[in-house]
Amino acid sequence: MPALTARHLLNGLAATQRRRLQLAAACGVLAGSLTLVQAGLLAWITSALLVDRLPLARTTPFFAVWLAILPLRGILSYAQEVLAQQASLAVRRQLRRRLTEHLMRLGPVWLAGRHSASLSHQVVEQVEALDGYFARFYVQQILAVLLPLMILGVTLYLDWLAALFLLLAAPLIPLFMALVGMGAERLNQAQFAAVSRLSGHFIDRVRSLNTLQLFGQTRRATASVHDAADGYRQRSMRTLRLAFMSSAVLEFFASVSIAVVAIYVGFGLLGYIGYGPADELTLFSGLLILLLAPEFFQPLRSLAQHYHDRARALGAAEHLAELLNQTPPATRDAAATPAPAPASARSLIELDAASVSHDARGVVLGPISPCLYRGDTVVVTGASGSGKSTLLQLLAGFVAPDGQGERRCPADLRFAWMDQRPLLIHGTLADNLRLAAPGASDADLRQALDNAYLGELLARLPEGLDTSIGEQGAGLSGGQAQRLALARVFLSAAPLVLLDEPTASLDAHSENAIMAAFAQLQRTGHTLVIATHHPALIGLATRRWHIVQGQLEEVEHD
Amino acid sequence: MIERPSPKRTRQPPTSLWWTLRPWLGMLARRRRRLWLGTLLMALTLFSALGLLAVSGWFITATGLTGLLLAAGASASLDVYVPGGAIRLFAVTRTASRYLERLHNHDTVLRLLADLRTRLFARLATLDGRARGGHRASDWLNRLTADIDTLDSLYLRLLAPPAVALLAGAVLSSVVALFVPLAGGVLATILLAGWLWFTLGQARLGMADSRRHVDELEALRGRVMETLQGLAELDAYRALGHQQQTLERLEDRLYRSQRRLGRWVALGNALQAWLVSVATLATLWLTAGAFAAERISGAIMVMLPMAVMAMSEALGALPAAFTWLGATRGAAERLNEVDAPPAANTATTAAPHPESAGRLTLDAVGVHYPGAFQAALDDVSLALAPGERLAVEGASGSGKSTLTALLGRQLAPTRGQIRLDGIALDAWPDDALRRRVAVLTQQTELLDDSLAANLRLADPEADESRLWQALAQVSLADWAQLLPRGLATRVGEGGRQISGGQARRVALARLFLRDPALVVLDEPFAGVDRATAQALCTALDTWLGTRTLVYLVHEASGESTVVPPGITRTLTLTDAGATAASEATPLRQ
Repeated sequence: MPALTARHLLNGLAATQRRRLQLAAACGVLAGSLTLVQAGLLAWITSALLVDRLPLARTTPFFAVWLAILPLRGILSYAQEVLAQQASLAVRRQLRRRLTEHLMRLGPVWLAGRHSASLSHQVVEQVEALDGYFARFYVQQILAVLLPLMILGVTLYLDWLAALFLLLAAPLIPLFMALVGMGAERLNQAQFAAVSRLSGHFIDRVRSLNTLQLFGQTRRATASVHDAADGYRQRSMRTLRLAFMSSAVLEFFASVSIAVVAIYVGFGLLGYIGYGPADELTLFSGLLILLLAPEFFQPLRSLAQHYHDRARALGAAEHLAELLNQTPPATRDAAATPAPAPASARSLIELDAASVSHDARGVVLGPISPCLYRGDTVVVTGASGSGKSTLLQLLAGFVAPDGQGERRCPADLRFAWMDQRPLLIHGTLADNLRLAAPGASDADLRQALDNAYLGELLARLPEGLDTSIGEQGAGLSGGQAQRLALARVFLSAAPLVLLDEPTASLDAHSENAIMAAFAQLQRTGHTLVIATHHPALIGLATRRWHIVQGQLEEVEHD
Repeated sequence: MIERPSPKRTRQPPTSLWWTLRPWLGMLARRRRRLWLGTLLMALTLFSALGLLAVSGWFITATGLTGLLLAAGASASLDVYVPGGAIRLFAVTRTASRYLERLHNHDTVLRLLADLRTRLFARLATLDGRARGGHRASDWLNRLTADIDTLDSLYLRLLAPPAVALLAGAVLSSVVALFVPLAGGVLATILLAGWLWFTLGQARLGMADSRRHVDELEALRGRVMETLQGLAELDAYRALGHQQQTLERLEDRLYRSQRRLGRWVALGNALQAWLVSVATLATLWLTAGAFAAERISGAIMVMLPMAVMAMSEALGALPAAFTWLGATRGAAERLNEVDAPPAANTATTAAPHPESAGRLTLDAVGVHYPGAFQAALDDVSLALAPGERLAVEGASGSGKSTLTALLGRQLAPTRGQIRLDGIALDAWPDDALRRRVAVLTQQTELLDDSLAANLRLADPEADESRLWQALAQVSLADWAQLLPRGLATRVGEGGRQISGGQARRVALARLFLRDPALVVLDEPFAGVDRATAQALCTALDTWLGTRTLVYLVHEASGESTVVPPGITRTLTLTDAGATAASEATPLRQ
């Protein structure tokens, strides 16, 4: 599949909203032709009063027509804006859904190497950055072709030489805009990267404020925030200098053309120009040409004003396309064939010559070929950094084995997961627990909390299960957060439980109790894989895998 | 007098728009000259546009009428050079002043933004952990980038354009009144009514939705971040579908507001075009009447409505800007919450600080968070002589982290007093205290930066050999040697590119780069395997030497716990700090 480019992405998205966008453009063209009619009325009334010396009362019907046209034009331009906005909303909604689903497929291992603040900035702000393109620019680029053509046609009919003046300026405009726009586009992309880095830089420093305070580094960090912000300003100014240049070029041509047309018409009316159609000019045609000259450039000027919308959207789309071009691990791709069934009915997961490598660190695990049998309690040991977590990720299917390696498991294998950084969502205690079992009753939740030795805590909370919990467990200690994640394990109905350092920050009392709960899980036929250093947990095991430098040894166990 | 909102209140009662924006207007006032110049350039651009259309209209009508006279054989003359020159001049000034105006004003705004960001971060840095802990980390991100960016519209969209439009309307009406007083009056009335609607009226329509908009974006972003960070668990529990629904619900809320706002803006824009056309029409009618009465010439009759037509350039941007006024207001409100005057907790008085090392006393210290259902720490007393090593044990939630925060002066006790070397902890100058006390918090905090940059947080001046030495002390030197990029290896967000145990050891290595008298270690070996922990302990013991140590651990005497040698006393914090700590007892060796 060819890589998705920013332009493809935007065109594809626009195609889904073609009807609305075309209708919006039609409204814009109609509104534009009414502007033409207005200009005609103004010129005609003026000419009638000044040249034909009609009394004011005789022109009243024309004033009335003019007054009647106005609300109609208002309705058309309102409809144009609203339709384009609806298209933009639909496009953004659809793209955001596509992105979140793609990120979910890319999986936790891919995400671990990325800055979640930058990614969520992409999913929220960069998708919003497409708004201007679809709500304004897209329709405007249609109008920028049709309206000037219409006006050119009328001017041509009135006076071909004046039309020529407009026409001479016109082709230069897209040329200049394209040249200037290309530069602005590149800079805009660089700026997007800067915004993204800036937000990453900032959230990182805010999260580490404790450490910065303790090392007395807050002043230095503040200076680095200033440098980052000022760098952003300088980058922005570079983008803007060019972006504004494109509209300045256009303004210049527009202003000069109007001036030239005005002077040409004036001299023509005075009879100073004996050449071409100039001697046929009347006050009516002269005024109308003058009124139409700015309207000829107006759609192009609006387009230039919205040009940064396009540059912004292209910059954002570039990043988003890059994200969408990432290939999910084979185990997580919806389109991929499901994992083959295990060779033996006894086994739950079979790995065959599986190895995992990281770009920066080379092969971190394998090749290994262990077999996980139903009802096993496997303890995975090894020095920190030896690849224990990677093995769990491989078993979970978060990462696919390299090359020829294979992971075999029954279709629709469910598992419970817990690692060293438990997820705490912004919501109540109950919301956090029901992640694992949406249908669980309050009694189930209480039971699970009891199993994880959070029963005492629950009893002390005045709002009980409805107590709200902040991001990263504000209000809970590290150990309590860990036990909350354990409570989810107990709630889940999955036959396989994968635990990465489950007792990392528990006191001996809860640890013993938790081990009793693990024993309970063992008795109810669960298969457990526990990565740990903890001797007491090792005691629970029926099998033990020891990892040394990415290689797995089955340690005899009694 | 209305009081400035205090930082304690998390949800403020609605304060008036004026008081919300006041501090930021004050900030703008400091760049007064730049802002005036910007506004002047804006006005110059507008008057050039008005002039261009008006003079052209006059010129064509005048030439047309003169041409008719000439054709009729009458003798007539017209000075074509002055108006021709004026037309060319306006054409050039319109372009030049517009380009300069935009460049100048954007630079001003971005300068202002950089200042604002820095000021806000500096403010955040002085808040204590508890004040910060109440917010989601993503909220803070939003504060610095989005809220402050939103405030740029204060000058560029909300102050200068309506002022220029008002000025242009007044000048234009006066000029029209010079020729046709009645037309001037009618024009002034129409333009003023329009101006009021496009500013106050549109602001009122959009206020509620646009004020909420950032909150809604923020809620969505927070949820996305949470989803990404907890993907492993969400996926394991098949909760992704549910999470996706939650995201879509938040998005629906956001888009409902956007749709309403979009409609108000479209309405405002349509009304604006209508109003300017009506004003043009009315002016033409009245000037035509004046022409019929032979009070003005035909050229003037055309010139005046043409100038009125150009007013759409002055009014065009107002409806959209003011419909979104609430966004600026909301941003200012949130920033005001953080930007309130600091609680004076950083001592600046240069108290004498003796060179003696690490004597620590706690006298009946307690911490009770406001609104919490129990004390986080209750009535802890202890005295540590220099060089003494104390273990503090307690289960999770018993107040160990609170004690750590107290000793690092990131939290002030609600009761009792802490003294270091005989001086109350809160009387220490910050720099001296940071040199004297080193703390390893339970939560490992690493910057998304290189290994070297993370280590240099502890000592910005440290050279590479010092860094390697520190890594050797935590048994990471061999591992780091094998990394293709060595010390330049990036550790990822919160250290996610390296294992939890390695991150812990990097955090520990930072301490070894410092030279404190008092060392506080909160679960230093969490996530580190036993063999490594024992090796770390030996290095730690050597480095500690005669430094005072407070060692927090969930169980000091458990068989699986690795404890540095030389600990002579133990303090037990009982469950959840509900009761006092037991008296310190010598540790069984």
